[in-house]
Amino acid sequence: MQMMFASKGRTLHAVIVYFSMLFAMFFVFICAPNEKIQGIVQKIFYFHVSSAITMFFAFFIVFVASIMYLWKRSDWWDAVAFSAAEIGVVFCTLVLITGPIWGRPIWGTWWSWDPTLTLTLVLWLIYVAYLMLRIDIHDPKRARFAAVLGIIGFVDVLLIRWSVEKWRTLHPKPVLIQEGGTTGLTSTMLWIFMFCLGAFLLLFFYLLRERTSITQSRHALEVLRQEIDDLLAR
Amino acid sequence: MKNFWYLFAAYSTIWTILWVYIMHLSRKNKELREELRDLQARVERVLTK
Amino acid sequence: MSSSKIFIQQVFALLAKDLKTEWRTREIFTSMFVFTVLVVVVFNFAIGADTELIRQVASGVVWVALLFATVLGLQRAGHMESEEDSLQGVLLALHDRSALFVAKMVAQMLYLLGVVVCTLPLCSIWFRIDFTACIGAFGIVFVLGILGLSIVGTLFSIMVLHTRAHEVMLPILFLPVSIPLTIAAVYATAQLIAGKGLKDIADYLALLSVFDIIFFMLSIMVFDYIVEG
Repeated sequence: MQMMFASKGRTLHAVIVYFSMLFAMFFVFICAPNEKIQGIVQKIFYFHVSSAITMFFAFFIVFVASIMYLWKRSDWWDAVAFSAAEIGVVFCTLVLITGPIWGRPIWGTWWSWDPTLTLTLVLWLIYVAYLMLRIDIHDPKRARFAAVLGIIGFVDVLLIRWSVEKWRTLHPKPVLIQEGGTTGLTSTMLWIFMFCLGAFLLLFFYLLRERTSITQSRHALEVLRQEIDDLLAR
Repeated sequence: MKNFWYLFAAYSTIWTILWVYIMHLSRKNKELREELRDLQARVERVLTK
Repeated sequence: MSSSKIFIQQVFALLAKDLKTEWRTREIFTSMFVFTVLVVVVFNFAIGADTELIRQVASGVVWVALLFATVLGLQRAGHMESEEDSLQGVLLALHDRSALFVAKMVAQMLYLLGVVVCTLPLCSIWFRIDFTACIGAFGIVFVLGILGLSIVGTLFSIMVLHTRAHEVMLPILFLPVSIPLTIAAVYATAQLIAGKGLKDIADYLALLSVFDIIFFMLSIMVFDYIVEG
């Protein structure tokens, strides 16, 4: 696994990410048909939902990496968990901002406590707490606590989703009819969406590689600094 | 083209946040490289003593 | 199996020690109780004099008060623990370290139960709610909810003991993770207040039970990782 993250191929990866995002934009704005009810605003959906899926995937990686860290005690897994959490929070923020921007013209209100958006909000809180627990200090104790939180947070997702759905049924529905209502995705929209999702996942993996190597380098530097200090003291 | 500005706002936000994050990463990278250079200089000084 | 007998014995021993210490000063329980009452009173002022409205939000107010009381109680307990630095010694003596977790969790549950028993009569008067109408149902909801709060709270409180900003980290970690529990408990209680029966809150009870079971098992599994070294 660690070989995959080696420095060769990084430029290639970056170039692929760049072009896939470029093409994604092209497809969304030029090729995608205008949705009948929502009009042009619906195009936010492509990047909004792609961000959301990438976010869930990032938190899933945190979950897996946390388990692997507790099992194997390898610093690399810890670096992956931390990086995935940080990037996950970035995408989470994206979802939380684009959601209301999409919602305002469609629902008539900025926030309608939509179940998935609310779930995203709770996840944002949990994983920001995770980051606060970590900061960027490498402390094996902290890493273990964070790994536990990484596992708990993900397990909680299903419970949160269930409870918010129940809670939502008690909440007033948004005024305009279009809540979640579209005429459905045509097959063109579907493949454009899959392409956008692919571009986002490629971006995620690129960011993950970069962030993980930064975390590992930082840790290696700290160790080195410690060794030099020890040597100088003698 | 109604609601165009919402569409524009959403996509601008996405690009801004992603760009800010990438800048943040490259700043961290620069810090690391400076720290590395600093450590190398210290080792040099000790070795030449 | 003698190992589970030892486990239960150790849990009881730890629990007895904590309760005895608490009984002498009653510090934790008193602060939790006073705080809960304060929160309820302040909410009453904040929400206004409309008795119908107060009745509707009563359930939410009580559970928010309990949430904060849990955080408060855990912080006091953790504070006393770190002052004496007794955790390490205790852990060495234990056969199975999760006995510590179970003991602390049960202690916290007992404090919360005490708080609920003392506060409910007051809420009954202030919110004009008759809890005795179906006291069994209320009992089940409160027990399940408090159990969940204790499990998650105790787990996080032991985790944050060694972090720098531990007083701030505990609520930041605890509150979001326990949102499903909060939602289920609040709405189950609200339904009961509105006169519904156990059948109507069945799915909330299911959520509470599932939450409790999952988090209990998770906590036992990861506890060793939290306290080692």
